[in-house]
Amino acid sequence: MAGQKKLTVVISQHQGKNPVKRQLEEELAMACMMDPEVEVSIVPNLYDLSSDHSGMLFLSGIRGDVVVLSWLYPRATQWILDRSGIKGKAGTVLLVSDDEEEDDEASTATERPNAIGTLDVPNRLIYCVDLRASPDPREFLGEIRRIVQETSTETVDLLSWIQGEPKKEQLERYLNPQEMLGIGHSETGAIAEVEAEEKVRRRWYPVIDYDRCTNCMECIDFCLFGVYGVDSLDRILVESQDSCKKGCPACSRVCPENAIVFPQHKTPAIAGAAGEVAGLKIDLSQLFGGGDAMELAARERDIELVRDGRDAVGMEVGIPKRQPQTCGVRDELDDLIDGLDDLDL
Amino acid sequence: MAEELVFMMGKYEARVPTDCLYSKSHLWLRSEGLRYHVGFTAYSVRLLQDVYFLDWSVEPGSQVYEKQEIGEVESSKALSTLYAPFDGRIVEFNELLLADPSGINTDGYGNGWLFTFETTAEPLTPEQYLAVLEGGWEKTQNMLKGQVN
Repeated sequence: MAGQKKLTVVISQHQGKNPVKRQLEEELAMACMMDPEVEVSIVPNLYDLSSDHSGMLFLSGIRGDVVVLSWLYPRATQWILDRSGIKGKAGTVLLVSDDEEEDDEASTATERPNAIGTLDVPNRLIYCVDLRASPDPREFLGEIRRIVQETSTETVDLLSWIQGEPKKEQLERYLNPQEMLGIGHSETGAIAEVEAEEKVRRRWYPVIDYDRCTNCMECIDFCLFGVYGVDSLDRILVESQDSCKKGCPACSRVCPENAIVFPQHKTPAIAGAAGEVAGLKIDLSQLFGGGDAMELAARERDIELVRDGRDAVGMEVGIPKRQPQTCGVRDELDDLIDGLDDLDL
Repeated sequence: MAEELVFMMGKYEARVPTDCLYSKSHLWLRSEGLRYHVGFTAYSVRLLQDVYFLDWSVEPGSQVYEKQEIGEVESSKALSTLYAPFDGRIVEFNELLLADPSGINTDGYGNGWLFTFETTAEPLTPEQYLAVLEGGWEKTQNMLKGQVN
């Protein structure tokens, strides 16, 4: 039994040609190649791949557990894959960046009963690892080894539930789907680079986190570029990815659940960082003129409308009427005024 | 030594020099020929404390509109997105600060300037800015308190 199953590891490349990042990718790929229990592949940046790109098709063909390493927040990776129908239960990754650590616990503790969730999740695990979590390849390899152990234990359990023994070929096919696709093996029997001839250009579009989304439709009301639509079950979806305006994150600011991710945006909360606010620092943006997220969203949208030769609409169209968040009860205020110096902000 | 107004933040004296003009977003603007030098007021610096990271997301020479995101600042205790104080043009950034932002803390009204700026907007007078501080102090404390708790 042991040694038959290989864990698939997929490395999603950085968009740029940064040599440090490329080197980390390559070192990881080489080391994984040497590991008999790991099958490794490299694909271009996941976010830029269309659903019918060979890299995505390859990922779709994987039936077992998979580790995806990318230069994106794990939440972003998870929901980019989900959009292309690559689904699974989220595996718990222990190697996370320092910024994410505290947030992680907070976010897993938060149950979101109103979220609509994603549909048809198969019983396998997808581990999304952020390549920015460490500069040291050994840390990633350690994590991959840990996941190999974790998943091989689970596989035994899983297989013991199956009624009757599967034939050896069936098992083989289930465990090594790459062979069916005819990719995943070169002569050395390990590494496959699914980059090929297909030109990958940089893209910009929103990704919906269905573990947060409540199907409130505020995004579809707000976006005037036809990016959003609904499926046959009236669930919100990103229908026309490439109608989205490059650099514009306005709809994610409008989303009351922070469920809309723009994986390449510079603000962590928009790019899919786990928590609601970054770390434990005080955010002074409001003080420095940030003001209201709705105002900002409307302004960003106006800029894109005008660029398209259309009229700006300001706050007139598709802005939800919501109560502003209040920040707690007013008490002990006098202490605070005098004690600001002692507060150690 | 320029004259100054003072705003009391609890026990802390936030200086408001009278040779500068101001924005509601807590930046000072000091006229340098046709342009302004722009920096953080003492009030901002007091809330930020030790700044260790400063990053600009627009290029020097960019036309910006009021409240447009132009960069980010991070200190030991706080972080913030930075926004353009008015419609105008950012001419250049203070290169020295990009290498070492500590000038913001040591000489906030002088060498700690952030960028040079051209605008036709009319910034606030020191008296008007002081009124903004007085009017907003309670709200600011609530905001801080809401985040600290």
